[in-house]
Parts: sequence; C-alpha cells; structure tokens
Amino acid sequence: MVHANLEQRLAGSALLRYGLSVAAVGVALGLSLISNAYGFKDVELPAFTLAIAFVTWYAGGRPSAVVVCLSALCYNFFFTDPVYTLYVSVNEIPSYFIFVAWAVIIAVFAAVRRRAEHDLLHARDNLEVANKELESFAYSVSHDLRAPLRHTAGYAELLRRQASSALDEKSLRYLDTIQESSKRMGVLIDDLLAFSRIGRAETNKAVVRLDQLVDEVVAEVRRDVSGRAITWKVARLPACHGDRAMLRVALVNLISNAVKFTRTRTPAVIEVGCVEGERNNLEIFIKDNGVGFDMQYQNKLFGVFQRLHLTEEFEGTGIGLATVQRIIQRHGGTVRAESAVDRGATFRVSLPKA
Amino acid sequence: MTTLGRILLVEDDPRDVELTLTALEDHKLANEVVVARDGQQALDYLRCQGEYIARARENPAVLLLDLKLPKVDGLEVLKAIRSDERLKLMPVVVLTSSQEEKDMVRSYTLGVNAYVVKPVDFHEFINAVKELGVFWALINQPPPGSMKK
Repeated sequence: MVHANLEQRLAGSALLRYGLSVAAVGVALGLSLISNAYGFKDVELPAFTLAIAFVTWYAGGRPSAVVVCLSALCYNFFFTDPVYTLYVSVNEIPSYFIFVAWAVIIAVFAAVRRRAEHDLLHARDNLEVANKELESFAYSVSHDLRAPLRHTAGYAELLRRQASSALDEKSLRYLDTIQESSKRMGVLIDDLLAFSRIGRAETNKAVVRLDQLVDEVVAEVRRDVSGRAITWKVARLPACHGDRAMLRVALVNLISNAVKFTRTRTPAVIEVGCVEGERNNLEIFIKDNGVGFDMQYQNKLFGVFQRLHLTEEFEGTGIGLATVQRIIQRHGGTVRAESAVDRGATFRVSLPKA
Repeated sequence: MTTLGRILLVEDDPRDVELTLTALEDHKLANEVVVARDGQQALDYLRCQGEYIARARENPAVLLLDLKLPKVDGLEVLKAIRSDERLKLMPVVVLTSSQEEKDMVRSYTLGVNAYVVKPVDFHEFINAVKELGVFWALINQPPPGSMKK
C-alpha cells in the first residue's frame, strides 16, 4: 500500500520528514496566494490547517511543530496587514494565539489517532507471529508425541506376547493399565489438537439451515445408540448465520452429551428447540432428562479437560463443552446451561439470525 | 499363485522398524523386506548406487515411506522418485505419525499412492500394516520391472 511505503520512508529519514514539512507549507502558501489572486478569500487558514494535519499524520510531532511555526510566519508575512512584514500588532496577538492553539489541537488529534493505528498494526503483527508459533507447536504435538506413545502401546503388547506364561494375574492387570493409559493419552492428544484447530481455522460464514443440520446430527448419533429407548422431540428450527462445519461439531458434542448422560434413563427424552433470543439472535436449546449436574460447579462446565463425573460413571475427556464454547464464541454467541442433580440439563446456545 | 513382492521400508526410528517388522512377520510378509534408515539410503538402494552398487536393477513392489527422516526427508525422496524415469511408476505408501493436512496435501500432490497414519493402538497398527502388506505385496500387480521372488 502507498501509505505504508510513504510512512516507512519518512520514518527512516529526518531529511525527508522536515523536507515534507517545508514542502507542505510551501504548497499551502502557494494555494492561498493563487486563490487570493483570483479573488477567493480566506483560503489561508484551512490550507495551513490541512498542511499541519497532513504532516502530523505522516511525519510525526516535531515536523508538525515546524509546520505550525512556518504557517504562523507565512500567515503573518503574506496575509495580515501590513503585508510583507513580520509586524504583529497588539490586538492581533489573541488571534495568533488562537491559531497556534487550534493548530496544536489538530496536531494532537492527528498524533493520537496515528499512535492508535500503529499500536493496532503492531498488535496484529504480534498475533500473527503467535498464531504461526501455535501452528508449529500443534504440528510438533501431533507428530512427535504420537511416536513414543505408539511405542509404549506396541512394546507393552510385545511384552504380553513374550512373557504371558510368566506373568501372574496382577502383572497382567498392570500391563492392561499401561496399555489403557497410552490409549487414553492418544485420545487426549487428538482431542486437544482438534480443539486447538477450532481456534486457528478460518470460518466460512454463510446461511445455515439448522433444521437440516440437526436432522443430520441426530441421525448420525442415533446410529451409535440403536439399542436404547430414546424419545426425540425436535422442533422446526430456523436458519442462522455461521460456519456449517463448525456448527455441526458443536451440535454433535451437545447432542452426544445429551445421549450419554441419559444412559441411566428409560426412556431418555431429548428435546431440541428454538426460541427468540435477545437483539438479533436466536436461542437454540438442547434439553435432556439425564443425570444433570450441580449448578455450583457450572463455571467448570466449559473448562478444558474439566469433568464433573467420574470416568467409571461416564467416559469422556472433558473437551466437548470447551469445544462448543469456543465455536459459539467465534460466532459471536454465548452458551449457558441450567441443571439440577438427577433432573436433567438444558443447554442454551445463542446464534446470529440468518 | 501369488508371489510375494519386495517391500522397501524407509524408517529411521528403530522401534518403529521393529514394530513394523513384527507386524509383517505375524502375517508372513516379512521375507522380502529391506529396511533403509534414511532418505539417502533409500535412494541409493533404488538407484543401485553407493552401498548398493552391486544390486540387480529391479524395483520393489512397494515403498513404505516415513516422512520425518534424517538427511533426505520423505517428501524429498518422493519427489526424487517421481522425477526418475526408472522409478516413477513404483507404488509409494506414506506411513507416518503426522495427521497434518499440509503433509497429506503435499504427499498427494507429489503423487503418493496411499497415505496411512500409524495408529497408536498396537492392534490397529498390526492390522493396518497387514492390510498394506497383503494388498501391495501380494494382491496388487506392481508395474513391470519390479522384482518377484
């Protein structure tokens, strides 16, 4: 961009900066003199003010001060009586004072705005660097951590084959634990990677037909629980604005949770519906009649790898809801939950309307 | 009567080598396996140069290629193979820990025949290696000029 190049060149050279100050005053002066010659009055002040603002924006504070002084001198010399002298009469002093004050105000505004823009660009560059680092970190995790994990699992199995006749029941149980633990670590690594990908991926926002999406997700989840008695109550959902793939992941997580935590119920009742949300949002809710949770732990609900139940009661890594929250946040929405122990749970998600 | 084609396994980690060979042995596919420990060694083998200068000029039925290798890495080996007139038809299966999309895209763009992520679970790993071995070394007909026992 032309602006960036100009700024860079000016930042590098003091000569260029102060040269620009003089040139700006020169241009403003020339413009004013020419307009005066053609009978247009009072062009001087706006012209010099423009010069001040321009130089402050592109060259900074000190060149701007130079422009203010030069402008005041020119104004005095060329445009105030007696013309072509630097004489200042007593009753002109207030107006010079006001001119300088006005110029300083413009300069300060321009400088503040410029600083803000600089800080923003700087912050954005820092973020880009951090993002790139995160990406290579995730790559390292996915590749380098999996290899020793695979070896642990593999050699545990080779040990089992090699020594099973020599191993007693306790030893075999220890071996089982080694293998299950490495399996769990594999699942945790996969989940963490998927979670980090959500934060880094580009969103493709479009109109999403929620009724279609929910039907798809329910059909998929149903396939895994064919034996169970589940009553589904799915209302007609409107369209929303968002990234279909990400919303799909969020819905899969929420609905599979409902299915999982109603395992102890017969029949399980899972309801998906929609109400009008605040501002321009709609609010989707997923309600189940499962084991629920204690509301006093509700701020742990969306934590990464945080769980509210024992692994023996309900399996899981504790990343599902953290993923849902991240996805919904990227859509500018919110997730919240209401529940009571043994009385089911309702998860409410707000999303922008289509 | 299916004959067992030669498998060239390119893998630097000695543990992965042992696990892969064990998996192949389980299904009697290990008789014709040659192991190269880095990309340079793999290329020397395929081109019959360096330590393999006396080898008969016949290609393996399949190359099982890891991506992270010392000296010459997997993708560079793939590129070299696909630009070599005598090697470019040889089936190559990438067998790697990496599930990263960019590795997959790079591999397929360079003309790999299959991309397999090494499972962490050993039973799945054995199964994957067996399926690969049975398909590429027994069922698949390698291009003409490949060695058969």
